[in-house]
Amino acid sequence: MTAQFESTEQFRAVIDRAMTLMSEDPVMGPKLRDADVPQRFEFDDMDLVVNARAARQGEHGNLYWEWTDDVDWEPKVKLTMSSEVANSYFQGKENVPVAIARRRIKAGGDVKSALALIPITKPVYGLYRSMLEADYPQLVVQ
Amino acid sequence: MDDQLGNEEERGVSEKLAGAEAAERAGVSLSTLRRWVALGLFPKHDLSEGWGPSAIAQARSLVKLRERGYSIEQLQEAIAEGRLVGYADELVAEMVGERFTLKQAAKQSGLKAEVIEELIAAIGLPSGALDDLGAEDVEMFRHFETAVESGFPRDALLQTVRVYGQAVSKIADAEVRLVHLHVHEPLLRDGVSSERIAEQMDGITEELLPLFSPVIDHLHRRFLNHFVEQDIVGHMEAESGGGEIGQVRVAIAFADLAGYTQLTEEVGDEEAAGIVERFVGNVNQTLPDEARILKTIGDEVMIVSPDSASLTDWAVGFQVLSNERPLPRIGIHCGNVVFRDGDYFGREVNLAARVAARAAAGEVLVTWPVVEMAGKHLEFERIGEVQLKGFSHATELFLAGLPEGK
Repeated sequence: MTAQFESTEQFRAVIDRAMTLMSEDPVMGPKLRDADVPQRFEFDDMDLVVNARAARQGEHGNLYWEWTDDVDWEPKVKLTMSSEVANSYFQGKENVPVAIARRRIKAGGDVKSALALIPITKPVYGLYRSMLEADYPQLVVQ
Repeated sequence: MDDQLGNEEERGVSEKLAGAEAAERAGVSLSTLRRWVALGLFPKHDLSEGWGPSAIAQARSLVKLRERGYSIEQLQEAIAEGRLVGYADELVAEMVGERFTLKQAAKQSGLKAEVIEELIAAIGLPSGALDDLGAEDVEMFRHFETAVESGFPRDALLQTVRVYGQAVSKIADAEVRLVHLHVHEPLLRDGVSSERIAEQMDGITEELLPLFSPVIDHLHRRFLNHFVEQDIVGHMEAESGGGEIGQVRVAIAFADLAGYTQLTEEVGDEEAAGIVERFVGNVNQTLPDEARILKTIGDEVMIVSPDSASLTDWAVGFQVLSNERPLPRIGIHCGNVVFRDGDYFGREVNLAARVAARAAAGEVLVTWPVVEMAGKHLEFERIGEVQLKGFSHATELFLAGLPEGK
């Protein structure tokens, strides 16, 4: 049985927390900021889009993101996936190249930048799972 | 009398040694050793009561340096500047202490001398090591003896220690070279004196060595668990058909960077090496859990996986993510191969390598057995029957990719 989100609001709240985990992590956060790769994630089953970039001077944390396409920057990498794949990815259960071949993730733009981000974001898997176990146990993928 | 001789033979001497014995341990004549002392090559050692482990270690270092062509004058200068005081001495010093001959080691460990000889050769230590074995070597032989007594086949033991020898010598070589490149050379570039560097190196060794051994032990356990799990899956699959006794069925991929030789001409060795490092890192970071890099040779990576379908998916997805020159080229084949000494051998391995050599930049070329195992989400364009170098029959090749328009 797949782990499913109860609602769009719940999905947004969980992904917001995942982004915060990455942004505020003392190792991942600065690396993602330095990598400076604006990304656009489209979650097609939820009809949601989030655009993320490195935080600018004066902004809190290392990452800044908005749940809209109406942003003042251009994404470098565009990834489209379902909420289920996103949840699975953040738990380290989705291999990105394999998911691309199986069309679970559609990649566009400067995809080599996405390749460079894979090792940087790996530490989020454990943090995300801990967060789910504490607050959203039904979303943990076995 | 025999017992007395036996006791003397069984235990090496660990205290300070007389000059003749020290010379033997160092691998140099007594007259040479005496000459070196007279020339002031042991200024920090009190030799009045004999030769301690540190002095013998230094003598060994001097022998090695002389073999490499350094003159006595150069050695005197190096010693005067403190350049021979460092981590190398510390490491070699550990090898000095209680020493055993082959006969003594055999008696102490319970292993036959000829078995010890075979093991030392399998590990990859020089044959001269047999004349100068340490207490830890004897302890290692005792473990081997226990393994043999427990029914571990001798041939499997020899293959296991051969893999250990290759892997551990690679680790030690990498540790020393990486410390040299990333610590020693930057210090030299910053104008730090040789003596100061020697002190720094001393500290690094003391701090890091105790950390490395538990790390290696931990990683060994982690990988052992991983491969035991895979072996269990392999047994289940063998029971449900396929696979010959003595062989394992695996998918083999070879991946390299197209035009790498030309790249080294264009950007130089340093930058090209950096590109290879990123390529191998990207492969390593993205492979499916069940696949692993078996070895790298220059810019070429050999990957093995028990799951042909996921390895093919990975290769296609990896090419999608690799849009920067030099582009990778990947060839995949699967079949029954022979496993020996931690490596895979046989016709199917050679075939996989030849398939990869036929691929162009950005391509994933595969054989029919791979197509048969692959998922329906991929598209395979038949290239045709190709005569691959070294094979008498033509091989049917396919170009793997994502379906058009998706």
